Amino acid sequence: MSQPSATEERLEHLKHYFIDSDQQFEASKMGMWVFLVTEILFFGGLFLAYIVYRAWYPELYLLASEELHTFWGAVNTVVLIGSSLTVAMAIRSAQLNQIKGLIINLWITIGLACVFMVIKYFEYAEKFGKGILPGGYYTYEGIEHEQANIFFSIYYMMTGLHGIHVLVGIGLMLWLVYKAKKKVFHSGYYTPVEITGLYWHLVDIIWIFLFPLLYLID
Amino acid sequence: MATNEENSNTKKLQVRRFKPEENPEKHYLNEEKGIWAWMTTVDHKKIGLLYLGSITFFFFVGGVLALLLRTELLTPAQSFIDADTYNQVFTLHGAIMIFFFLIPSVPAVLGNFVLPLQLGAKDVAFPRLNLASYYIYVIGAAFTLFAIFTGGVDTGWTFYTPYSATTSGNVMAMTFGVFILGFSSILTGLNFIVTIHKMRAPGITWNKLPLNLWGLYATSLIQILATPVLAITLLLLTMERLLQIGIFDPALGGDPVLYQHFFWFYSHPAVYIMIVPGFGIISEVISTFSRKVIFGYWAIALSSLAIAFIGFLVWGHHMFTAGQSSLANMVFSFLTFLVGIPTGIKIFNWLATMYRGSIDMKTPMLYAQVFLFLFTIGGFTGIMLGALSVDIHLHDTYYVVAHFHYVMMGGMVMAFLAGLHYWWPKMFGKMYSEFWAKISCAILFVGFNMTFLPQFVMGAQGMPRRYFNYIDQFQSFHQFSTIGAYVMGVAFVIMAIYLVHSLLKGKRASSNPWGSRALEWQISSPPSLHNFHHVPVIVNGPYDYHKPMSEFQLGIAASHNGHHAEEAVSVSQSEKEQA
Amino acid sequence: MSGHHISSAKFLWGVALALFVLTFITVAVTWIQIPEPWNIVVAIAIAVVKALIVVAFFMNLWWDSKFNVLLFIMSIAFFLLLIGITLLDTLYRVDPVPSF
Ligand code: HEM
Ligand SMILES: [Cu+2]
Repeated sequence: MSQPSATEERLEHLKHYFIDSDQQFEASKMGMWVFLVTEILFFGGLFLAYIVYRAWYPELYLLASEELHTFWGAVNTVVLIGSSLTVAMAIRSAQLNQIKGLIINLWITIGLACVFMVIKYFEYAEKFGKGILPGGYYTYEGIEHEQANIFFSIYYMMTGLHGIHVLVGIGLMLWLVYKAKKKVFHSGYYTPVEITGLYWHLVDIIWIFLFPLLYLID
Repeated sequence: MATNEENSNTKKLQVRRFKPEENPEKHYLNEEKGIWAWMTTVDHKKIGLLYLGSITFFFFVGGVLALLLRTELLTPAQSFIDADTYNQVFTLHGAIMIFFFLIPSVPAVLGNFVLPLQLGAKDVAFPRLNLASYYIYVIGAAFTLFAIFTGGVDTGWTFYTPYSATTSGNVMAMTFGVFILGFSSILTGLNFIVTIHKMRAPGITWNKLPLNLWGLYATSLIQILATPVLAITLLLLTMERLLQIGIFDPALGGDPVLYQHFFWFYSHPAVYIMIVPGFGIISEVISTFSRKVIFGYWAIALSSLAIAFIGFLVWGHHMFTAGQSSLANMVFSFLTFLVGIPTGIKIFNWLATMYRGSIDMKTPMLYAQVFLFLFTIGGFTGIMLGALSVDIHLHDTYYVVAHFHYVMMGGMVMAFLAGLHYWWPKMFGKMYSEFWAKISCAILFVGFNMTFLPQFVMGAQGMPRRYFNYIDQFQSFHQFSTIGAYVMGVAFVIMAIYLVHSLLKGKRASSNPWGSRALEWQISSPPSLHNFHHVPVIVNGPYDYHKPMSEFQLGIAASHNGHHAEEAVSVSQSEKEQA
Repeated sequence: MSGHHISSAKFLWGVALALFVLTFITVAVTWIQIPEPWNIVVAIAIAVVKALIVVAFFMNLWWDSKFNVLLFIMSIAFFLLLIGITLLDTLYRVDPVPSF
């Protein structure tokens, strides 16, 4: 059985209805995976709308994606992958009890996430300026297609929802930094870091699909 | 975690018998007092009761609305409600009954209460999330009530576009309320899945899991896989109204049938959210009151999962007349028939369990019989509706109304009432009047059939659903139906009276009034705040009525952390007969 | 323990590098104009590979419990069901009123 060891005195995190830290950790991680399942199906609906309309109006997608800048899309992809790397490094630091490394990596991740949002902001602003607004407010005349507004509705829904997830991720990571500074995490307890990491990677994965689907149509 | 057990699949435990304390002084209901303690409790049992209070409220509201509808239908012309109000009333009736009553009824009320007890756990895996899910439900409900008082909604509970995108009234508040509610449902499902996987007491292997938990497990899977799609559907619908994004609105180049795909991808599985947990309860009740091992344990357990899965393949049977491609029509019609197979398997296994059992016709068992009868009718008529050519005739008639009331009310509500009466003594430590319970069950049965049987006939003759007036030919059917509805109302009033009486003046219940072998009956009634003072150990299946009660009350003798529920346990005999 | 896999820093950098390279490739193939359906196939295939790399080695599913893997597979399977069956309708529809 478990030897009473140095970790024993650090068990403030253990809830009474769990038997040991391992059970608690595994339960939280499974809970996060279940949540990710719901996220995948949540975005799945949007992907469905995307696919159905793409099958109906392939030429619309060709025309409309001209308005998106592949370069900035690619930059954002690289930024998000980079942030995935730093989150993974943050978890590694926590596992090795390197709290300073954890905090630094979290800050880098937050920074990259902000870069992503700033780029997204400029992309949106540029489109808004042209009159490519969502839904009924669409006034742009550069695309010769009756359903052009629908492409951009889907575009805004997908990237908008993704953007909201990025913002939530930033919030979560700020909270992790705060907790880490209060010395809550150590190699025996870093569950919140781990599961926030899982969430962040999923946000990255969704972008990995959005990038070719929206920007790389030619 | 290197331990010495790694090589062998069984491990030795020192166990002894823990007899439940009768009539405990301190229990979960009185250990923490005051409104505040209740509103902030993370105890799964109290959260279950909070849900019970809320769904009772909504059931009452929905019920009153139903009586309004039926009263209006007494005469062919307008009686006292005008057409627009009628539309709002049936919309609210449907939406409230489905989203605010039936979906949370068994999982969130009874599931919350018994799931950890049946697992031998002290709580669910994420108690605070559990409380959060209750408050999310409350917020969703608040939005819905807000919608009712700020214009109402007249789209039907399905919110079909383009009508829902253009009608006046406060559709946004309503869909937003249901959107929020969805998260409550998701979180409950998430909690249950993790709890069932991670918090089982030693010895509860997958083949000793009570069938109620298999039902809840299958339900939870549906909840996490389907509900997110409802969320995105309603979000898109909200955006449709807010920004005219045009995805579902034909006037803007969109496709309304696509909305129906989105909606039914959730809502057909959701009808299984509304029945599969009922199956679990029926399995428990039938086995307990037949004093017999359940017949076909694995058949029942796996058919729940099969139903959950097949339920995802058939949604298009709601769209046979909506203009989807004929290829899709044929595929969906074929797949719909498949649902009948696992459902039939269940019915036959329950019948086989009762065959030659020592049947004790207590109230829960009576409700289980009612369930079997009514649900079978509901299921059969579902198959008929699934037949493509027949449905072209029957779609959007009272036949469909009768079908889904037979499954939802005749099936799930009866199963819920079976479960409520079954676990009532455990929840409150009080017995109710067996006599009045049976009377009200009988009245309910009669009233139910009076209400809905004529609707099959009417529907087949062409009476369309969702109309506030009709041709004279149908008047006698409608009147009969309305009288039936009042009869049911009487039954519910009687039920409310004897249940309240039981709370106030009921006889105290013993820890195990039904002589069940299941784990939740091996602790005191009502349970203590943390359920178990010991770590229970399971050596027999939950329905092994041929084994003595003492073998079902074992717990770990020495302090031990009791990890590794996956493994079978072997009990050291010497300790077993102690105490 | 399944849950406590610790990757080396070098390994994590390697994974990220692979992802960067794949991102470059997916952009680069658009320069050589692959004919119709294949350009989509290639783009999606690369995205799938990237996603799987993230799932397996950043999210540690490679070392994780079987049930978590199953959950992930399940979510993808049901997502494909949603798409596949809906396309049975939308791809094969005959407009009742052709001019619509
Ligand atoms: C054997 C299983 C079942 C089959 C084959 C089946 C089949 C069907 C079909 C084909 C329809 C569409 C009829 C139409 O609109 O023309 C339908 C409607 C409906 N069913 Fe079932 N059903 C089954 C079980 C259930 C269960 C268990 C529930 C709920 C607990 C349920 C609830 C409903 C509801 C609410 C509707 C009407 C939806 C609406 O249009 O508002 N069904 N069913
Ligand atoms: Cu259905």
